Amino acid sequence: MTAGLDTGPRWADLARLATREWRHHPWRHAAALLAVALGVALASSVHLINVSALAEFSSALRATNGAPDLTLRGSGGDMPDSAYPEVALAPGVALASPVLEVDTYARQADGQRLALRVLGIDVLQVAPLAPDLLPRPDEGEDRLAALDPTRVFLNAAARERLGVAQDMGETVSLQSGSRWISLQVAGWVPAGGAPLAVMDIAAAQMHFDRPGRISRIDLRLTPDAEPSAWPPGLRAERPQDAEQRVSQLSRAYRVNLTVLALVALFVGAFLVYSVVALSVAQRLPGFALLGVLGMTARERRRLVLLECAGLGLAGSALGLAAGTGMAAAALRWLAGDLGGGYFPGVTPALQWSWPGLAAFGGLGTAAAVVGGWVPALQAQRLQPARALKGLSSLEAPVSSAGPGLALLAGGVALAFAPPIAGLPLAAYGSVACLLFGGVVLVPAVVDALMRWVPLPGGALPRLAWRRARFQRHTATAAVAGVVASLALSAALTVMVGSFRNGVSQWLDAVLPADLYARTAGSSAAAQQAWLAPDFVAAAAALPGVDRVAASRVRALSFAPGRPSVALVARDIGNPAESLPMVEPPLPGRDGELGIYVSEAMVALYGAQAGSWLNLPLNADGVSDSSPVRARVLGVWRDYARQFGSIAIDIGDYRRLTGDTRVNDLALWLAPGADLARVREAVRALAPDPAMLDFAAATELRTLSLRIFDRSFAVTRYLQVVAIAVGLVGVAASLSAQVMARRKEFGLLSHLGLTRRQVMALVAGEAAAWLAAGAVIGLALGIAVSAVLVFVVNPQSFHWTMDMVLPAGRLLALGAAVLLAGVLTAALSARHAAGRAAVLSVKEDW
Amino acid sequence: MLQIDQLSKSFSGTPVFRDVTLHLARGEFVALLGESGVGKSTLLNCIAGLETPDSGRVRIDGTDLAPLDDDARARLRRSRLGFVFQAFHVLPHLSVAENVELPLRLLGRPDNARVAAVLHAVGLEGLGDRAPAQLSGGQLQRVAIARAVVHRPALILADEPTGNLDPSTAERVLSLLVAEVRDTGSACLLVTHSDAAAARADRVLRLGMGGIAAP
Repeated sequence: MTAGLDTGPRWADLARLATREWRHHPWRHAAALLAVALGVALASSVHLINVSALAEFSSALRATNGAPDLTLRGSGGDMPDSAYPEVALAPGVALASPVLEVDTYARQADGQRLALRVLGIDVLQVAPLAPDLLPRPDEGEDRLAALDPTRVFLNAAARERLGVAQDMGETVSLQSGSRWISLQVAGWVPAGGAPLAVMDIAAAQMHFDRPGRISRIDLRLTPDAEPSAWPPGLRAERPQDAEQRVSQLSRAYRVNLTVLALVALFVGAFLVYSVVALSVAQRLPGFALLGVLGMTARERRRLVLLECAGLGLAGSALGLAAGTGMAAAALRWLAGDLGGGYFPGVTPALQWSWPGLAAFGGLGTAAAVVGGWVPALQAQRLQPARALKGLSSLEAPVSSAGPGLALLAGGVALAFAPPIAGLPLAAYGSVACLLFGGVVLVPAVVDALMRWVPLPGGALPRLAWRRARFQRHTATAAVAGVVASLALSAALTVMVGSFRNGVSQWLDAVLPADLYARTAGSSAAAQQAWLAPDFVAAAAALPGVDRVAASRVRALSFAPGRPSVALVARDIGNPAESLPMVEPPLPGRDGELGIYVSEAMVALYGAQAGSWLNLPLNADGVSDSSPVRARVLGVWRDYARQFGSIAIDIGDYRRLTGDTRVNDLALWLAPGADLARVREAVRALAPDPAMLDFAAATELRTLSLRIFDRSFAVTRYLQVVAIAVGLVGVAASLSAQVMARRKEFGLLSHLGLTRRQVMALVAGEAAAWLAAGAVIGLALGIAVSAVLVFVVNPQSFHWTMDMVLPAGRLLALGAAVLLAGVLTAALSARHAAGRAAVLSVKEDW
Repeated sequence: MLQIDQLSKSFSGTPVFRDVTLHLARGEFVALLGESGVGKSTLLNCIAGLETPDSGRVRIDGTDLAPLDDDARARLRRSRLGFVFQAFHVLPHLSVAENVELPLRLLGRPDNARVAAVLHAVGLEGLGDRAPAQLSGGQLQRVAIARAVVHRPALILADEPTGNLDPSTAERVLSLLVAEVRDTGSACLLVTHSDAAAARADRVLRLGMGGIAAP
C-alpha cells in the first residue's frame, strides 16, 4: 500500500482554502458575519444586563437582610414584638435580631418625594447578623446616637439623592401617614443599593405608628439546631427565598427579551445559509475540480462547515464584544431593568458571566454551522465529473410534505403543553416547530398553489410558471428567509396589536373617573403613605366634585419565594361594571366574604372563581387574628400587576380590619367643572401637596399607551431587521440560482429574449415562490401569534387578552414583502442576461 | 441573406479577428473551420448581435445591426435567427413540444400544427409530451434543430452541433440540419472542427487571424 494514500487534507489546509473564499467575497461574508454578531450581541447584552442587575440587587438585599440562617416573618406581614423574646429563647436559637421594615418617602430639597426604605433595628443585636446595617455615627456624634429616637442613619444612595453631606448634622423629613417627621442624620450605614435609612427599632415603631410591631426576626441558629416549631402565625424563610423573589420579579420579562434576541440569531442563521449557498453555487466547478483531484465528498462538506464555523466564531466574538459594550451602555443610561421597572433605584456595575457568554458564543457558532449545513451537504453530494461538464446543479431531491406537516403537528401539540419551571419553554418550542415546519412545506405549498393557478398563455409567464413549479424544491432556499421573517413580523404585529387593544380596553374599564390622586407609587409604600378618611369627605364636598371613590392598597404575602400580591379595597358595587371581568362573576352569598382576583392569582395560586382563599389580613398593626376566608367570585384582568391582585369591597375590608386609611382617590367632576381648579382644590386639602400625585384619566391613558408603545418599540426594529435579512436571503439565493442557470439564460438570450425580459422572467418565478412564501408566512404568523397571545403571554405574565387580527395591516405587510422580494429578485437577475450568460452556452466546449 | 463586411473584434486590446468579410445567400449552407481560439464563436455572437464588433458591418436579411439597440437586436434574433449548440441547451422544465414551440411563443404565434410537423420532420413524432431528461443525446440535438427551424428563420447559426455526438448520430443530425435548411430556404452558417461535417456544406471557409478565406 502506498504510504499516505488514506491521508486527507489537514484542517490547516482546509482553513487556508476557507480564508481564500472569505478574501474573495469579503462584503458578502461580512454581511453574514454581522447577522450572527447582531444576534449574539443582543442575546449576550440582555444576559449581561440581567446578570448585573440581579447581582447588584441581590448584593443590596444581602446587605439589608444580612446573613442570617433563617428569617421569621408574620404569615400575613407584620407580627407583634411579643413574638421576639419567645423566639430568642427558643431552643436552637443562638442569636435573634428584630427588624421593622417601613417603605415610605423622604422629602427632597425640591419638595418632591423620594422612595425610601426605613429599617428599625436593635442596635445591640444587629451587628453579627447584618453588619452593613450597623449605624456608624458621624464624627462628633454621640456613640449612643443609634439609640436616640430623633436620629437616623443613611446609606450612600439616600445621602446622595437627599443631598445630605457627611458630618453636617443635617435633618431629613420622612413621611408617616399624612405628616412629615423630622429626624437628624447622625451617621451612615454601609449597606448599598436603593436609598435606605436605619434607626432604632423602638423609634421607628413610634414614628411610623407601628407600636409593638416588627416585620421580621433574623436568626443565627446553633450548629445542632433543628428549626421546626415556631410560634403560631410565623413563617420561616431561608435567605435564598428573598433572592428568589427578586429573581422571580423579572424572570419572565428577561426570558422573553432573551428569546427575542435569539430570534435575531435565528434569522442570522438563514442569512448564513443564503450566503453559503451562493458561495457553494459559485464554487461548483472548483469543488468539482477538487473532487477530481482527490478531495473526498466528506472533506468537501468539512471544508464548507469549517468556513461556517469560522464565520460563526468571528461573528460570535464580534457579537460578544458588541454585546458587552451595549450592556455597559444600557446599564449606564437605562439602568438595569431595560425599561421593565423591576429594579428601581439600582444602577449596577457590569458583571461578567463567563458561562453565559460562552453559551451565547457557542450558540452563534452553532447557528452559523446549522445555517451552512444544507449547502455543505450539496458540496458533499456533488458529482465531480458531471459538475465539470456543467451538467450538475444545486438541485435537491423533491421532498414530501410529511416532515413539514409533522413539525406543524408538533408545534400545535407543544402549544398545549403546560409551562416548564414557570416559563413558556414548550410554547417557544411550538413557535420554532411552526416556523421550521412552514419553511419545509414551501415546495408543497408552491405545488398546491400552482395546481390552482392555470398555466398562463404568454411566453414569459408560461416559462416562469413552468420553471417555478418544476424547480419548486429550490423555492425553500429562496424564500425560507422571507417565510421566517414575514411570519415573525406578522406574529409580532398581531401580538402587539392584540395586547395594545387589550390594554386600551382595560384602561377604559379601570379609569372611569375624571381625575385620580394617589399617595404612593407602590403597594408597599402605600402602607405608610396614606390619607385619613375625613380627607375623602372633604374632597367630596369641594365645588365641582360630583362624586369621590376611595381605595386602600396593601401588599399581602402568600408565599415566601414569590413577590407580594396587591390587595385593593374599593367600592365594587356591580363587579361586571366596575371591574374588567374575564367572565361574568358568580353571585355573592350571604355570610360569605366575596373577593375578585386577577388572572395572575389563578395562575400562581389556583384561585379560580368559586374557590376559597385565606387572606392574611392580620398585618399592618391592626389585628393579629387568623387569616380571613374569602370566596373568589370572579376573575378580572389586571395588566398593571404581574404577580397578582385582589379586589375587595372597601366596606368589607374596613369591617374586617378596622383600617380606614385611604391611598387612592377617584374623582368624578360635576358637569362644567374645571379639572385644573378641582385638582388644585384637592391638592390644597392635603397636609403637604407633595404627598399627592394627580393625573387626569386622559393623561393616565395617554401616558400608559405611550409607555406601552415605547416598551414594544424594540419589536418594530426587530421586524425591520428580520425582513431586511429575509430579503438579503432572497437576493443571495436567487443570485446563486441565476449563477447556476447561466446557460439557460444564455440560451434565452440567443432565442431573442431581451435583457429586461430575462430579468422579468426571474422576477416572475420569484413572484410565484414569494407569493407562496407570503401565504405561508402570513398563515404561520397568525399561528405563531396565537401561541404568543394565548400561551406565551398567560404563561409568562399571567394575563390574557383577546386576539385581534389587523387584516389590512397584515395584507399590506405581506404585499410589501412580496413587492420588495420581487424587486430584489429582479435586481439579483441583472446578471442573468449579461455577457457571461451569453458566453456560458459554450462553456463546456 | 447575411452580409458581413470588414468585421473586426478585439478584447482588451488583443485582436480576435480582423477584416472578416462573408456573404451568405438564401438556402446556402456554409461551413466555417478554424483553430481553437481564432474567434469562431465570437464571430457568431457578432452576427447574432450578442457582441458588438469594433468595426465593420453585419446585415441580416437587409437589416444593419449597427444602429439597433439591444432590444431591437433581441427582436431580430427572435424572428430571423435560429441557433443550434453543441450542448443542446434544452430547457429541462419544458416538455419536448414546449421546447420546440418556444420561439413561436416568443413571437406570440403558438402553432401546434407547425410544432407537430417539425417534430415529425426530425423524427420525434409521438415524443412531444416527454420530458427532456427521458431523451438521448441525439434526440436532444434533434429537439434543438426542430427549435431552431420551427419559426422559419432567415439564418441558422450552428455552433459545433455534432461535437457531443457519436459519428453515426452526428451524421444523422447533420443530414437533418441540411434537409431542414433546404426545405425552409434558410441560410446556415455551421461552425465545426469536423471535416466530415464540413464536407456536407456548399462552401467551406477558414477563419484565421488574417480574416476569412477558402481553405
